[in-house]
Amino acid sequence: MRAWLFRLSTKHLWEHPGRSLLGLLGIALGTAVYLSISLAAVSALRSFQDGVSAVAGKAEWRLMSPGAPLADFLFTRVRQASEVKAAAPVIESILDLSDPHQGPVLLLGLDPFSELPFRSYEFLSAGQVGARVWEDFLTRPDGVLMSEPLAQRLSVKPGDTLPVMVGSSRRVLTVVGLFRSSHGLYPLDGSVLLMDLAHAQELLGKLGQIDYIDLLLKSKSPGVAEKLAAQLPPGVDLVQPGSQGLQMEGLVAAYRLNLSVLSGIALFVGMFLIYQSVTLSVVRRRREIGLCRTLGMTPGQVLVIFLAEGVVNGLAGGLLGLFLGVFLAKNALGVMTQTMSSLYTPVAATDLFIQTPLLVKAWVLAIGATLVAAWLPAREAARTPVRAVWYREDLEERLANKVGQFFWFGLGALMLAGMLASVKIGNSPPYPGFAAAFLILLSFALLTPAAVKWWGRTLAPWGRRLWGVSGELGCRYLAGSLSRSAVSIAALGCALGMLIAVAVMIGSFRRTVDDWVSRAISGDIFFGPAVFSTAAYDRFLPSEVIPELQADPQISDIYFYRCVRIPFRDRFILVIGGSFEVLARHGSLWFRQGEGQELMLKARSRGQVMVSEPLAEIFGYREGDLLILPTPSGPQRLTIAGIFYDYRTDGPSVWMDITLFRQFWQDRHLNAVRLYLKDPSRVKEVQAKLQHRYGQRYHLLTLSHADLRAGILKIFDDTFALTYALEGVAIVVAVFGIITTFLVLIMERERDLALLQAIGTSRRRILGMVLVESGLASLLSFVLGALSGSLLSLLLIFIINKQAFGWTVRLYFTPGIYWQTLVLVTLLGLAAGAYPAWRALQSHLAAILKEE
Amino acid sequence: MIVLREVSKTYQRGAVAIHALRGVNLVIESGEFLAITGKSGCGKSTLLHLIGGLEPPSAGQIVVAGRDLSRLSEVELTLFRRDLVGVVFQTFNLLPLLTLEENVALPRVLQGASFHQARDEARQWLAEVGLSDRRQHKPHQVSGGEMQRAAIARALINRPAVILADEPTGNLDSGTGAGILELFAHLHQHHRHTVIIVTHAPEAAAHAGRVLRLHDGQIQP
Repeated sequence: MRAWLFRLSTKHLWEHPGRSLLGLLGIALGTAVYLSISLAAVSALRSFQDGVSAVAGKAEWRLMSPGAPLADFLFTRVRQASEVKAAAPVIESILDLSDPHQGPVLLLGLDPFSELPFRSYEFLSAGQVGARVWEDFLTRPDGVLMSEPLAQRLSVKPGDTLPVMVGSSRRVLTVVGLFRSSHGLYPLDGSVLLMDLAHAQELLGKLGQIDYIDLLLKSKSPGVAEKLAAQLPPGVDLVQPGSQGLQMEGLVAAYRLNLSVLSGIALFVGMFLIYQSVTLSVVRRRREIGLCRTLGMTPGQVLVIFLAEGVVNGLAGGLLGLFLGVFLAKNALGVMTQTMSSLYTPVAATDLFIQTPLLVKAWVLAIGATLVAAWLPAREAARTPVRAVWYREDLEERLANKVGQFFWFGLGALMLAGMLASVKIGNSPPYPGFAAAFLILLSFALLTPAAVKWWGRTLAPWGRRLWGVSGELGCRYLAGSLSRSAVSIAALGCALGMLIAVAVMIGSFRRTVDDWVSRAISGDIFFGPAVFSTAAYDRFLPSEVIPELQADPQISDIYFYRCVRIPFRDRFILVIGGSFEVLARHGSLWFRQGEGQELMLKARSRGQVMVSEPLAEIFGYREGDLLILPTPSGPQRLTIAGIFYDYRTDGPSVWMDITLFRQFWQDRHLNAVRLYLKDPSRVKEVQAKLQHRYGQRYHLLTLSHADLRAGILKIFDDTFALTYALEGVAIVVAVFGIITTFLVLIMERERDLALLQAIGTSRRRILGMVLVESGLASLLSFVLGALSGSLLSLLLIFIINKQAFGWTVRLYFTPGIYWQTLVLVTLLGLAAGAYPAWRALQSHLAAILKEE
Repeated sequence: MIVLREVSKTYQRGAVAIHALRGVNLVIESGEFLAITGKSGCGKSTLLHLIGGLEPPSAGQIVVAGRDLSRLSEVELTLFRRDLVGVVFQTFNLLPLLTLEENVALPRVLQGASFHQARDEARQWLAEVGLSDRRQHKPHQVSGGEMQRAAIARALINRPAVILADEPTGNLDSGTGAGILELFAHLHQHHRHTVIIVTHAPEAAAHAGRVLRLHDGQIQP
C-alpha cells in the first residue's frame, strides 16, 4: 500500500486542527494519568526498597523478633556460632526533627567494629573522616554522623546541634561529622543519622537491647541457615532482609491496585474519545470512502487508513501523555508519599524514578487503546459499500436497525457483570469485580443508542410544548443522529458513572468510618506520643506518667494501649495489647457477631484474641478459628473470640488483653492511653492540665474524642485526594468528547441550518433547537451515568472494597453528588452546543446553500 | 465486449419492492459510444452501476471484458473497477482536500504506481482535458465544468476498458455541458474506450454511436 494514500487522513487531521487536538489531548491525558500513578507508585516503593537495601548493605540474613527487640547477649552468642562468618548488631528508630527543622529522620545505632563486612559508609575510612571525628563518634553520648544529603538539605555542618524528638522526649544531638553512602543509596531519601550502638541504646531507652542482627554465613547452602535457625531461642526468626520490602509491597498492594485501576479509567474514557473521533470521521467521509472504493481502493486499504488515523492519535497523544505524565508524576509522588507515610510507613521520595519500560508500557498501552478503539469504526469504514457515494443516510439507517441488537448485548453484559460480581478467587485481588465494573460501563454504553432513540422520540412532543418547533426539532435531531450522538453520550455517561460511583463509595466509607469512631472508640482524652502516627511503635509514654495519671482525682479509668507491627505471612500486621476490662466497661469494639462486653471479658479470662475484619477477610479466619501468631516468645496458638469492624488503614490487626500481650512480648511500655473522666464535660480543663504538666518535658498529644475524630477524617480525606483528581481528569476527557461531537454535528448540519434560516426561521429559534439537543444529550448522559454509577457504587462498596481491603462499608445515599453532577453536565452540555451553533449561524447563507 | 443476460435489479424498501430493472438483455461492443436515455427513475443509473460492478444484480448475468461479474469476489470486483472501469459522476465527486492533480493521480496510486509516476501521468491527462494551469487548484477553486474535466481525467488515467458517465452534464449549464460532451467524443475518438453515458439530455445522444431508451426498467425497442 502506497504511503501517499495516508495523505487522505493527514489532510483531514490538518483540516480541523482543533478537533484533532481534542482527540489527541483525550488520549494524552489518559496516558499521562496512568503513567503518573505508575511512576509515582514505583518511585515511592523504590525509595522504600532502596532504604531497606541501604540499611541491609551486604547482609544476607537477619535475626529479628516479631515486633520486639532482641537481647544484646544474643549477638555475642551468634557471632561465635560456627555457621556465622560475620555479624553486626543494629538498633534503629525514626526520630522527628524539631525546630528549626522538621520531618522524620532515621537513626541507626551501629557497632563500627562489626560494620565493615556489611555497610560501606565512608566514615569507616579514617582518612576521610579524621581521627577527631572518629573519637567524638565513639565517646560523645549525643554524637551523630549525618548523611551528606541531609546536611546539605538542612545546611548543617559538623559541630552544629540538632534538636530532635526521641519518642516523647525532647533531646539535642550533636553532629560530629558527615558520611556518604558509597552507592548513593540512603533510606528516607537521605534523612539518616548514624550513632554508636551503645549511645543509641541509651538515647532510645533500649539498654541491653538491639533491634536486629545482620549476618553473613560461611556458606550459601540452605542447610547452613537451617542449622543456625535451629539453635535460635523461641521467638527469634532468621529472615532475609529483602523480605521487608516485599512485605511492605504486600501491605500497599491493594492501595496501589485501586489507584492503577482508577488511573486506567481516564484512558478508558480516552478510548471512547478515539472511537468517537474515528466514527465521526467515518460518518463524515462516508461518501469519500464510497468514491475511493469505486476508484479501486480495497476494503483492506480503507481499514488500514482509518486504523492509521487512530494510531496516529495514539502515537502523538501517547507521546504527549508521556511528557505530561512525568510532569504530573512529580506532583502525584508528593501526594502518594504523604499518604503512604500517614497510612503505612515513613516514605520520603523526592526524586522520580523514571523507568524506560514503564514509559514504553504506557505508550504501547496508549497505541493499543487507540487501535482497539479505532478498530470498530475502521471496520465499519472498510465495509462501506460503493453505493455510499449516492446514498448518504445508509449508515444511520443501518445503525438504527442495530439498536435492538446493541440493547440485548447490553443486557447480556449486565447479567455477566452480575455473575462476575459474585465470584471471589481465593486471596487474590478482586479481578472478577474489576471485570464486572468494566462490563457495567460497557453494558450502559451498549444500551445508550436505544436510550437516545427512546429519549429523543418520547421527549419530542414535550419539546414542542415547552419550546415550540425548536424543542421538537432538537429532540428529533438527537434521535436521528445515533451514529454520532450515541457515542459521545455513552462516553460522558461512562465518566459521570465512575465519578458518581467513586463519590458514593467515598461518601459511604466516610460516614461508616465516622460511625465507627463514635461507636467503637470510647474515651474522653487520648494521650500519648503515638495517637496518630502509625510508624511510632517505639514511642512510649514516659514511665512516670502512668502513676501520676492513676493518682489524678479527675480520671476515673485508664485504658492502656500498646502496639507492635510484625511480619505475618506475606505482609505486616499490627498486634495490639489493650485493657479489655476497661473497654468492656466503657463501650467496646464493634463486633461482627456477638455482644461486645461479653466477648471482651470472655477473651480476657480465656486468653483469646480478637481479630479485625480485614485480617479475617484477607486470611480467611472465622470466629472460633485458631490463629498461630508469631511472638517474641515463639509462635502462639490463639483462639479468635470475635471479629470486629476496623477501618484503620495501616494494616490488619490482632487485639489481645494487655496482660496477655505482656506475657508474650515481655514489654511494660505503653504507646498511649485513653482517659475516662469522672466528669466528661471537663475535657478541656484536663487537656490543659496535662499539657501544662508534661508539655515542657515531653512531646505528647492530648486529644479529645472530637479532635481524634477530626484527625481520622482528615487522614481519610487526604487519602482520597488523588482519587478525586483522577476522576476529574476522566470528566475533562469526556467533556472533550461532547464538545467535539457537537462541533461536528452542527458543522454537518450547516446546510440544514442555513436552509431553515433561508425559509424564515429566526437565529434565536435555531440556537434554541441546538441547545435543546445538546441539553438533552447531556441530561441523558447524566441519567445513564447516575444509573451506572449507582450500580458501580454497590459493586465498589460491597464487592471490590471488601475483597481488596476486607472492610464492610455501609451504603449511605449521597444526593449531593447527583445534584452537583447534573448541574455540571447540563451547563457543560449547553456550552458545548452553544459555540458551534453560534459559529454556524455566522456563516454566509447563500454560500452554504450553493455548495454541493 | 459487455453482455447482459436477463438482468434484473430489485430494491427492497421496507415491505415495498422496487423493480429498477426487469430482464434486460444487452450487448455493447468494444469501443462503442452508447447513450442511455429515459425518464427519472427508469433504471438508467442502476444499469450503469451494474455494468461497473458497483452493485450486484438481483438476477441475470453480466459479462464485461470476458469477466462474469457475478463470479468475482469482493476483492476481484474492486480490482475490476480499478483496472477496467472509469466512472464520471453527475456531482463530480472530487475529494475536496486534494488538488486536481492529486485527485487525478489517486486511481494510479491505488493501482500501485508511485506518487511521482502517478503525478506525471495525471499532468498529461490534465493537459489533455485542458487543465494544465489548474492542476494545483483544489476543487472549490475551479468552475463546475473544470471539475468535471478533472473527473474525466481521473476516469481515464488507468486506461480503463469502459468509461461510465452518470449524467455528466446534469450539474452544468448548457454551454459547459456541450463542451464536456465534445470532450467525451474527442477522447473516444482518440483512445477508443467503450463509453456509456446515462443522460436525459437529447444533445448528448447526438454524440453517441447508439442510443438506448429505458422505460420502467426495460429497454424500449
